[in-house]
Amino acid sequence: MTTWLLRRLVWGALTVLGVLGFLFVLFFATAQPEDVARRAIGEKAPPEAIAQWIANHGYDRPRIWNPENPFDTMLLEHYRRMLTFDFGRSDADDVPISQRLGDGVGPSLALTVPLFLLGLPLALAASLLVAFFRETYIDRMGVVLAVVAMSISILIYILAGQYLIGVLLRWFPISGFASDPSVIARFLALPLLVGLLNGIGSDVRLYRTVFVEETNRDYVRTAFAKGAGDGRVMARHVLPNAMIPILTHEVVRIPFLFTGALLLESFFGIPGLGSITVDAIHANDFATLRVMVYLGALLFVAGQILTDLAYTLADPRVRLG
Amino acid sequence: MALESHIAANLVAVLLVALAAFLTWRARRSRYWRERLVEIGRRRPLALALIALYAAVALLDTVSWREELPADRPGASAGLLETRSALERLFPADFQEASYSAPLADREFYGDAPLAHPGRHVLGTDILGRDVLLLTLQGARVALLVGGLTCLIAIPLALLAGIPAGWFGGRLDDLVFFVVSTLASMPSILLLIALVTAIGRGPLQVCFALAVTGWVGFCRLARGETLKIRELDYVHAARALGVSEWRILWRHVLPNLTHLVVITFVLTFSQLVLSEAVLSWLGLGLDGSWGQMIDQARDELSRDPVIGWNLGAASGALFVLILCVNRVGDAVRDVLDPRTLRERA
Amino acid sequence: MSRQQAFALALGLGLAAFGCSNNPYPDADDTLRVFYTAYSEPPKTLDPQVAYSTVDHDVLSNIYETLLEYHYLKRPYQLIPGLVVDVPEAEPQPDGTVAYRFQLRRGVLFAEDPSFSLGGEGVVQRELLASDVAFGILRIADPAVNSPVLVPLSKIAGLAAFGERLQKLRDEEPGFSSLRIDEQYRRAGPATGVRATNPDRLEIVTQVPYPQILYWFAMPFTSPVPWEAVAWYDGEGGRPGFSEIAVGTGPFRLTRYDKRSRIVLDRNPDWWGARHPEWGAPSATYPTEGMPEDVARGTLDPALAGRALPFLDRIEMRLEKETIPAFAKFTQGYYDRSTIPKESFDQAVRNGALSPEMEARGMRLERAVRPGVFYLGFNMEDPVVGAAAGDRGRLLRQAMSLAVDVQEFLRIFLNDRGIPAQSPIPPGIFGYDEEYRNPFRTPDLARARALLAEAGYAGGIDPETRRPLRITFDTGDTSVQSRLRYLYFIDAWKRLGLDVELAATNYNQFRDKVRRGAYQLFMWGWVADYPDPENFLFLLWSELAQSNGGGPNTANFADPRYDALFHDMKDRGNDDRRLEQIAEMRALLEHERPWIELFHPEDYALVHGWLQGFAPMGLPVPTWKYHAVDAEARAERRTAWNRPVRWPLAAGVVLAVALLVPGIVTWRRERRA
Repeated sequence: MTTWLLRRLVWGALTVLGVLGFLFVLFFATAQPEDVARRAIGEKAPPEAIAQWIANHGYDRPRIWNPENPFDTMLLEHYRRMLTFDFGRSDADDVPISQRLGDGVGPSLALTVPLFLLGLPLALAASLLVAFFRETYIDRMGVVLAVVAMSISILIYILAGQYLIGVLLRWFPISGFASDPSVIARFLALPLLVGLLNGIGSDVRLYRTVFVEETNRDYVRTAFAKGAGDGRVMARHVLPNAMIPILTHEVVRIPFLFTGALLLESFFGIPGLGSITVDAIHANDFATLRVMVYLGALLFVAGQILTDLAYTLADPRVRLG
Repeated sequence: MALESHIAANLVAVLLVALAAFLTWRARRSRYWRERLVEIGRRRPLALALIALYAAVALLDTVSWREELPADRPGASAGLLETRSALERLFPADFQEASYSAPLADREFYGDAPLAHPGRHVLGTDILGRDVLLLTLQGARVALLVGGLTCLIAIPLALLAGIPAGWFGGRLDDLVFFVVSTLASMPSILLLIALVTAIGRGPLQVCFALAVTGWVGFCRLARGETLKIRELDYVHAARALGVSEWRILWRHVLPNLTHLVVITFVLTFSQLVLSEAVLSWLGLGLDGSWGQMIDQARDELSRDPVIGWNLGAASGALFVLILCVNRVGDAVRDVLDPRTLRERA
Repeated sequence: MSRQQAFALALGLGLAAFGCSNNPYPDADDTLRVFYTAYSEPPKTLDPQVAYSTVDHDVLSNIYETLLEYHYLKRPYQLIPGLVVDVPEAEPQPDGTVAYRFQLRRGVLFAEDPSFSLGGEGVVQRELLASDVAFGILRIADPAVNSPVLVPLSKIAGLAAFGERLQKLRDEEPGFSSLRIDEQYRRAGPATGVRATNPDRLEIVTQVPYPQILYWFAMPFTSPVPWEAVAWYDGEGGRPGFSEIAVGTGPFRLTRYDKRSRIVLDRNPDWWGARHPEWGAPSATYPTEGMPEDVARGTLDPALAGRALPFLDRIEMRLEKETIPAFAKFTQGYYDRSTIPKESFDQAVRNGALSPEMEARGMRLERAVRPGVFYLGFNMEDPVVGAAAGDRGRLLRQAMSLAVDVQEFLRIFLNDRGIPAQSPIPPGIFGYDEEYRNPFRTPDLARARALLAEAGYAGGIDPETRRPLRITFDTGDTSVQSRLRYLYFIDAWKRLGLDVELAATNYNQFRDKVRRGAYQLFMWGWVADYPDPENFLFLLWSELAQSNGGGPNTANFADPRYDALFHDMKDRGNDDRRLEQIAEMRALLEHERPWIELFHPEDYALVHGWLQGFAPMGLPVPTWKYHAVDAEARAERRTAWNRPVRWPLAAGVVLAVALLVPGIVTWRRERRA
């Protein structure tokens, strides 16, 4: 057990180090600090200001090898900062990135957690329904609807949702956000609706397959043969057993709740981490972008280790290897 | 001197047709594949026909040649050379207006100026006066390029890494596992953006970025399947008989993965085309894609009255293609492998 | 319960719970006169010595004040006194320098702020002193501040030297950097050209005659800044950095700064203008004079004219990154004016006029030329399109210039929002000649083809390759919106037979090409910092060439005669000689064609009927103090325009039932069978 955990942790750490190396190659080995500076302080800035900016941000170090002081390189600085969670300041506007993360995580969770908590039961209920009526009109219609729903681009959902609900029907504000819990619901209603619609198709299709497969197992057939009612079999046998693959699928998503929903946040004006990321992309703000990717990877790796650990604790049959 | 782009495109078209012909020929020779393909065709005739239509349109738009324009054409000087695709040649030459016009209109949308081709733009024209029907049809080529080229990069990559990793194990397996888990642990959309930002946004680069983010899952699958196949009796037998390892990989392992390749191809395809739309919205998509047309609608929907035909045509074409591919994908999976791929739906 | 039913239920519950309204301001205080506006990207910084983008200036120019301001309505732009009593006169000195004496108003207070406790226990506020103005100017030279305007302002005697001394002390003396900022500046010694002789007198000396210096005193860069705020807001110990706050003397103060979603400015109760209406200060009174169009658009309304400013209690700014929500909220009455994002020019207007529906809703369209110019530039160092190609290159540039119909471009993309440019100098700037017509800027395809043939590219064919001449159009903007604009030009050149290829790479790759000089053709825009022709013509000065250290002359234009003329005119007063020089430079540009001048942009704002006193300015200057809103009319309209449509909800439920019933029926039948 301890060896397994140790091995798992070492692998996780290696993965994170790999991600960091990859990020360095992508962002800092290809981009010229001058471009980042110019983008940050404006096209009109004179060369002196650009040079000053580069020095202020520490981008004037040698990238990988410094003959004078091998420890004073951008690569090592990159690893040092990320591993000590000293994220520094944004390239775009010099705001401390940790402060920005703190500001953004609340609004992100306000959107993604309800999306997750509403989406899972909704998809489960719908897929259970079509699985229950399997090989009937409802099943066929449900599957077709699910495939239709997943064939529509999220951009269309957003544009159509804003136009239909916000402009034509005028039920909710088209976009905006308020952290006050008494009014937050009206701002979240539309992005939630869009997010649910966008995600439900593929989820229902997947879960239905799981459920149908489970109903075809021998013990379920036996239960049916014994004369147990449809609903009872579904609730007592199929649902609990099908939950294992479904939860595996869902748990993986939890870390990404923190990184927010890129498009939804951006279109609906929710100042979360997703919208911070989109801004960073548009502003060439590599300092922020690398932190977002790094944290996403870190959460993902940690989440996976915890999931595996939970499985081994919950189910002794799972072999540790 | 570098190959001219339209000649290169023609070559690619010929190669693709040849590849398709070769695969069909191979499939017809094998009873297993013949039966299954017939079964898929029986289940989804309409969707398959529509996909074939998209492919035909894309092919028509890929084949192009150059010709000298007639000297009497308005707005062109004598001896002007122009390269146009077969698809463009189905439409009148210079099939362009000054700016927006509604579907089948005979006047401009703003300003009431008469059109050069009144009543002939079935889906209207865009801001530059280009025929929206033609643009939409041309989008099919970009969509198939995104889906197809990416799969052509990603699948061999995944097989090349996944099979040896599963077969030989050891250090090699560790290395592949390391790369795979590194890539998999980054949020895919961010990885995609980071890649495109770093390597540029030409068609090849975008497809490459999509492939890098997309091959991971399939690599895992290939590795897992190889592990299973390695323990099969006839593989053991082949080894005992002294058949070389590479020959076993080629003769026994690879053919047993073919159905997975086909299924993955179909299932990944639609994901890729949808991802491109998101990339377009971030300004990183491919020129002429439906994603870009949809992105344009961000301005067009804030006009008054709203201009919707551009958005409608592009999203309609995108939707129908993805729907067909998804439906066919379901059928392909059911027919070829009802079990293994459940988790990857 | 099916998915559809679940949705219907959730929707129903939702609608009931949220009061069925699309009002995005559920917590608004309706007793205040609030101005609602949107911004499309978060401000980068509120440090007045650093900020250089439109939204930064929108926020901070209404909080910080400047010594001089512009008359709100009069055009061409006219300086008026702001924090000073009079606009100073230039006083040439015997040694060749020029002095300007500013007489500050007494009794001007900074807004209350905790940082003033650095000046004494319990102090929350203090009077503005000439030393605060000097402090602000010295900050421009401080290397740690990294101000983008140090180079032009280095004409102030001793300013650059001050910065060097400061840097030297910081580098050499341990512990110097941790001294309080006012102490650091005091130790680095004064700049000879920035003298606070009295608490209310400031003397500025320029080393050479530089009449444009006065314009800089109407820009946020020279705003007085209290040293306490700079020292206090250091980004440590939970305090924000100085770039995230604003402590000024102006009519508004910053009360909320969630810059990624919401910025709120409240009326500053201690503003000198409101406390001393008897002074009748021009920058604190609504103007009584303007241009003829001001009568028509109601910006000289007797209800406003001559009254003391400001008229608003609060300004609510919301971040709207996407055009559709921003515009939809404007039409719903939730924004008082529609903002036009930096790059997006498509808006809901037909041919430069409002649609009848919008007019019926009482909206107005405001337009004003912004002192700027958009242009296509050639890289003059390119072997094909540049000066190296000699006459061939020039003829090619002339031909390409003749092919571009900018009038049509404006009609298609900007709803005629802009004036075709004949030269770099826009209207409202000295040297602009309304009568001047650039012969190469009137589209003429026949002549263009003739010139192209003369250049040796008959029919656009490059005789060497026997193929259409390939030219690359480089851009770092990959958005679809810009791509369509570039395609417009490319189509135009295609008519000449030229094969222009759009290379839209990401910003870094574009910059990389520019740095390496590997570009041929690009599109660029320039908006004036201050209304003087020098601020446009310097874009073609060879000393500022891109290839010569990354200057703004991206066209790399280098012409000795032009340089000589520029050198002479740049620091000259607006006299006849200057006008002649400008005309000669213009003629040079006309012939050489390093640029294809496109248009001078127009600010184009849609405004609701209840917003009064709205005149577009086009320069980074305070405007909100002149605005007024009729909040009652707004509330009434908002209610009328936003009644929710409920029937689709019922229709949805019916549809869901209709889909489900046959299913249950068939299922029962199948089971029974």
